[in-house]
Amino acid sequence: MAAKFMPPPIAPFVTTRDVFLAAMTKQRSEFRPSETKPHSLVRRGGNQVAPAEAAALSRRQFLEAAGFTISLAAFGGCGRAPVDHAFPAPAMPAGTIPGQLRSYASTCTGCSAACGLLVGTRDGRPLKMEGLPEHPLSQGGLCAVGQALPIGLYDRQRFAEPLQNGKPAEWTTIDHEIVQGLDRIKSQQKAVRVVTSTVTSPTLRARIAAFVKQFPDGRHVVFDPNSSSAILDAHQQTHGARVLPHYHFDRATTVVSFGADFLGTWISPVEFTAGWSSRRAPQANKPEMSHHVQFESRMSLTGSNADRRYAIHPSQQGPLVGRLAEIVATLAGKPLPEKPVANMDGKFDQQLAELAERLWHERGRGLVVCDSQEVGVQRYVNYINHLLGNYGTTLDLERPSRQRQGNDRDIESLVEELSAGQIGALFVADVDLLHALANRPGLADAVDRVPLSISFAPRGDEFTTHAKYVCPDHHPLESWSDAEPISGLMSLGQPTLQPLGNTRAMMESLATWMGQPTTTLAALQAYWKDSVFPRRPSSASASFADFWDVALRSGFVEVTPEPVKINEFNATSLKPLMPTTAADGFTIVLYNKIGMPDARHAHNPWLQELPDPVTKVTWGNYVCVSPADADRLQINDGDVIAVSVGKDAPQLELPALVQVGQHEGTLAIARGYGVKGTDRFAKVGPQWIGANPTVVDGELVGVNAAVFQEFRSGMLRYERSGATVAKTGKHRALAATQKYNSLELPSNVAPHGAEHRDVIQRTTLAAFAKDPHAGAAEHHATDTQLWPEDHPKTGHAWGMVIDLNKCTGCSACVIACQAENNIPVVGYDEVRRQREMHWLRIDRYYDQVSENVDVAHQPMMCQHCDNAPCETVCPALATVHSSEGLNEQVYNRCVGTRYCANNCPYKVRRFNWFAYPHPDLRQNLVLNPEVTVRSRGVMEKCSMCVQRIEAGRIAARTQGVPMADGMVQTACQQSCPADAILFGDMNDPRSAISAALKNPRRYRVLEELNVRPSVSYLRVVRNRDEEARRG
Amino acid sequence: MANTMTQRVPTSSSVPNPDALATLRPPLIAGDKQPADVTHDICAPFERGPTALWWVAFAVSFTTLVIGAIAVTYQIATGIGTWGLNRTVGWAFDITNFVFWVGIGHAGTLISAVLFLFRQKWRTSVNRSAEAMTLFAVMCAGLFPIIHMGRPWLAFWMMPYPNTRGPLWVNFKSPLLWDVFAISTYLLISAVFWYVGLVPDLATIRDRSPAGWRRRLASIFSLGWNGSARTWHRYETVYMLLAGLATPLVFSVHTIVSMDFATAVIPGWHTTIFPPYFVAGAIFSGLAMVLTLMLIARKVMQLEDYITLRHVEAMCKLMLSMGCIVGLAYGTEFFVAAYSGNPYEQFVFLNRAGGPFRWAYWTMVTCNVIIPQLLWLRGVRRNIALVFAISIVVNIGMWFERFVIIVTSLHRDFLPSSWADYSPTIIEVATLLGSFGLFFSCFLLFCRFIPVIAMAEVKGVLKSPHHAHEHESVKGDAA
Repeated sequence: MAAKFMPPPIAPFVTTRDVFLAAMTKQRSEFRPSETKPHSLVRRGGNQVAPAEAAALSRRQFLEAAGFTISLAAFGGCGRAPVDHAFPAPAMPAGTIPGQLRSYASTCTGCSAACGLLVGTRDGRPLKMEGLPEHPLSQGGLCAVGQALPIGLYDRQRFAEPLQNGKPAEWTTIDHEIVQGLDRIKSQQKAVRVVTSTVTSPTLRARIAAFVKQFPDGRHVVFDPNSSSAILDAHQQTHGARVLPHYHFDRATTVVSFGADFLGTWISPVEFTAGWSSRRAPQANKPEMSHHVQFESRMSLTGSNADRRYAIHPSQQGPLVGRLAEIVATLAGKPLPEKPVANMDGKFDQQLAELAERLWHERGRGLVVCDSQEVGVQRYVNYINHLLGNYGTTLDLERPSRQRQGNDRDIESLVEELSAGQIGALFVADVDLLHALANRPGLADAVDRVPLSISFAPRGDEFTTHAKYVCPDHHPLESWSDAEPISGLMSLGQPTLQPLGNTRAMMESLATWMGQPTTTLAALQAYWKDSVFPRRPSSASASFADFWDVALRSGFVEVTPEPVKINEFNATSLKPLMPTTAADGFTIVLYNKIGMPDARHAHNPWLQELPDPVTKVTWGNYVCVSPADADRLQINDGDVIAVSVGKDAPQLELPALVQVGQHEGTLAIARGYGVKGTDRFAKVGPQWIGANPTVVDGELVGVNAAVFQEFRSGMLRYERSGATVAKTGKHRALAATQKYNSLELPSNVAPHGAEHRDVIQRTTLAAFAKDPHAGAAEHHATDTQLWPEDHPKTGHAWGMVIDLNKCTGCSACVIACQAENNIPVVGYDEVRRQREMHWLRIDRYYDQVSENVDVAHQPMMCQHCDNAPCETVCPALATVHSSEGLNEQVYNRCVGTRYCANNCPYKVRRFNWFAYPHPDLRQNLVLNPEVTVRSRGVMEKCSMCVQRIEAGRIAARTQGVPMADGMVQTACQQSCPADAILFGDMNDPRSAISAALKNPRRYRVLEELNVRPSVSYLRVVRNRDEEARRG
Repeated sequence: MANTMTQRVPTSSSVPNPDALATLRPPLIAGDKQPADVTHDICAPFERGPTALWWVAFAVSFTTLVIGAIAVTYQIATGIGTWGLNRTVGWAFDITNFVFWVGIGHAGTLISAVLFLFRQKWRTSVNRSAEAMTLFAVMCAGLFPIIHMGRPWLAFWMMPYPNTRGPLWVNFKSPLLWDVFAISTYLLISAVFWYVGLVPDLATIRDRSPAGWRRRLASIFSLGWNGSARTWHRYETVYMLLAGLATPLVFSVHTIVSMDFATAVIPGWHTTIFPPYFVAGAIFSGLAMVLTLMLIARKVMQLEDYITLRHVEAMCKLMLSMGCIVGLAYGTEFFVAAYSGNPYEQFVFLNRAGGPFRWAYWTMVTCNVIIPQLLWLRGVRRNIALVFAISIVVNIGMWFERFVIIVTSLHRDFLPSSWADYSPTIIEVATLLGSFGLFFSCFLLFCRFIPVIAMAEVKGVLKSPHHAHEHESVKGDAA
């Protein structure tokens, strides 16, 4: 009946699985090469961020000791049978409190942005990723991908052993063969290529450089599947240095983006979101905010948050940039000698002129960004920023970003070399070469012909099936690392548990093959001692050990950046853009979803089930079609259509999604899907007679849209013109969490005068400047109560304020909540049936205003109403009100009548329709022991992280102080990159939330029902001049 | 219809009726029956073996019941997810069926108790089966609140009794708890009322049966009935009292059921009109179901003399009046929505009539308001086939009424982001069918083993001139 559950271990227990794994790792370590001896993982004391007393015995030492003891005592002669029982630790190591959360500063490896990470561990298990509050880039924020890291750690499909021709082998054997192979290649003078995505780690970069230097023709090829190569190349041509500027959105009062989804997936979204949102909070006495204009062909998250968004055809992007450059140049008194574009339709001339005017007016405070992969366009972008004096203010070249280093020209030549059979040895890390270059069909055969091909992939992918050797890297949470996302900002990543498998860090593998075995820690320390320590700030300690400890404790350190030689702007590099010929058919635009920035995360069930912030669709990709095209071709949501380019070129079949705001003639498809091995999700979610599989037999989650990429003038282009569309007659319903997308009621049933619901209140800056209360709904709401307040909240009154103007809808909070509160993954079919379990959802509404679309995002979770409709109707008293204003759900009292959910005006309650065990039982280790795992048949919902409130209360009581404001942060609040969520005690007049409640923009959703929610929202203000009806 | 009458008139009693008044008001029981004929006619079906038709009917009903039982077992073993519900539509078939079956029961109580108190003699032919119907309908209804729970094995947590689970008590503010009381009270009173009314007839069975299990059972359950004046006196008193007790239930039970919705904040549910509206609807649907069953029983059990066209007409008139009240309620809902100025309320009603579930709404209106208007015509009321068809239509319409109220109100409520669709799964449909299987299986067993017409009461309304006086005084009806 009910599937087997592994309950989370209760506080004073250590799962033997952990202990056992640790013990086994220790035992096996004898067979490992010397450089991976566990002593390398023993950290010195004082490396945790929490202001806790220094442990006499580090947690890791404790684990080793405990593991060793238990393994001797209990499992001495046993085999490796999995153990599912929990035993108390036999001896309590001093300074360790079982079940207590310990946080370690680290660096996120979810993408190359390298945000600051705070790894929350309990009993030696990393469970919860949070943003590192002090980190200068991410500022405490962390995106959905970073939050979702730990479930990948406990993935049983990660390689536990190195592979040789697809069969498990010993490290020593493999090392021996690889070294022999490399010697042969060296003597044959053949090419050696190490392919990685952007390596932000300077130590690893140096190691790879040293490795390839051994060979006569060795090169490190950086391949970003989501490349910004054109920006780097453009800067080489205009400024003489192939660097990526560090963009400062926090300094920009006018942001113009041509297609760059900087709040979603472009370069460093968490940092950019933090910077952008810091300028999105107008005050009544200071009604100022940034102005953000977006030109894009598909509807991106960034575009959905822009003050002005213009839908353009992809072929218009270059001409528009050129035209803007032309106008700005005229304003600057330096007219361009040649028109950037020969013929322009002048459709956006007026808007561009106004924009140029504004940018010129705000010289040095503007920022123009573009995601084009055409170097010529990027040169004009640079020129605009140069003329406006933005270099040095909003764009920093002195301390450039190292978050995108990919060079597409190198990739193209690598592909040629591979096809020509010139490569002797191919090392691939962090990227599935064959998946990401699916546009080159013969590549797999070419890889097969490479004498020595080695993958560092943690799980099977397309490249590993063709690689001779697979030398699996550790999971980032098992491994030491460092990063330098911005020149001069050095951060460290530290392991938080023993490697679960017999894996080895890439750095150690390379060192072994170079004949200089070392440990990652030793390599890091050596590099830092030689290259980082000398650049330390004057205030830093003169002892390297102290310097290291401080860096490790805080997670990062700022040092003097390495000087970059920047030339004067080279205007001669500007050349007129190639005239764009309007190709017949559709133009395919390839993009990355926020939840799937690259294919490495395809095995992450949390990210697969994360509703896309714009489309709200989970599980797999689809082709977004503009409403006009859909109308013309009679395509509806879910109709499977065949997209193809050319006659014998690839064809993909995938479901369609009609996307408002998308420009006619474009098709947008997400990359990073169709990843080998994702058929593992076929059985995710409940299996019953009516269930539809998440993955259809013989297929994968989504399809690989990289087939539509192409190399054009050295750049990997993510758009492709000349595509055709054909209906297949098949249908696959999209698993979307939101079915109705507007606040305008359907016209055929809308009551006269009430066609619009004021769930999201909006205004414009012009109206706000006149009246800070502008945009408020006209309610007849009164605060009159029928009964006297017989339950006054004399202590705390917890509440939340969400600034909708800062919130971008990025959905980091959704995963934060999922990780914190043990929210199950339910699979495609359950989402399709509108039974997703996320406690926190983000409602997204489109409003058609003339031809433009206004988009609004609203995080919605339990509103903890004072007059809660759910509480009165529960016959079993399973949902009750706390004395501190929380609406509490008592799981073990719930009998599951669902009356509460029916009666909830916000529809935030989630019912356990089935039992939802993890398909991979090891992933139960990711469960937060502080939160009950709910059984089938009970209702659940946001608890405002009551476990965190209690932890804060206990901490305050232990210290004998009252609970201070900010001491308790909910999971969603902690990770919000935009700092849009504020939680606190509404009874405390000095708390931040009390101040926020007085904000004139504050309102409550459905206030007129008099349910008195504890969650308030701050109205959306769009920076526009007109005083529109609803902004 | 005249044919059906003449066919069944026994030749022995084809004496021209000298009573002039009788032509103005036809007798309740046709065929000029003697009390002995009544006993004989009514006991005949269960004294002889079951007919082939009965076996067929029972086989079909029981098969449906088994299908339903399999569906419910699967659902309880697997989860509520086997139903088509979702985060927005938390109730659909389950509570629709519940309200539907509770409503069905109401006509039984109305006929047996309220009409008894109002001295409506025509009720005697139908009250037994109507009461039985009530009982079985409430049984079916009671099933749904239990199986709709996420954890039905904890259903006893709904009961307020001192327990060992700490100071846990039930929530007396919850209408669902009121339902528990309302339904259990209703079941109890209906069962007692039905049983008490059955006692004289059980005594008749006891006296007629040869020695065997039937006589033994009948003698136990007839509680030593001896037909003495004292026995009759006690019986009349108890019956009157129970009728008095049952009468308020006709109004209270469905009032409370309606409060499941009326006390909620969901537009379309949050309506003060619901209690009278639901009571009228319940009686309406119940009458339709009584008619359906009556017409079947009349044919199958060959009781045309006892369930005459006059009965059918009276039922039709009652049904028509209830249908009009229900129609008025539908109109009033729209008026209140328009007049209230509440945009949410207005939207819900526009959405009912024009939204994705408009087919359900217009099915409901057609079945409950438009088609029953045919009953204004005497010719229709006296056409058994048409009346039967209309009664089925009303049953369907009243099921849809509850479906419309529950699903259309829920599926598009306050926040458009959470709007959802609903379509039932095969498990839900099987569960609905299973409830019909349970109902008809019980009813067929009832027909087989218990007198479907209250013999003692029918004897009291026989129009035979030489017996009338005697029986009327015995029955107390004339008092």
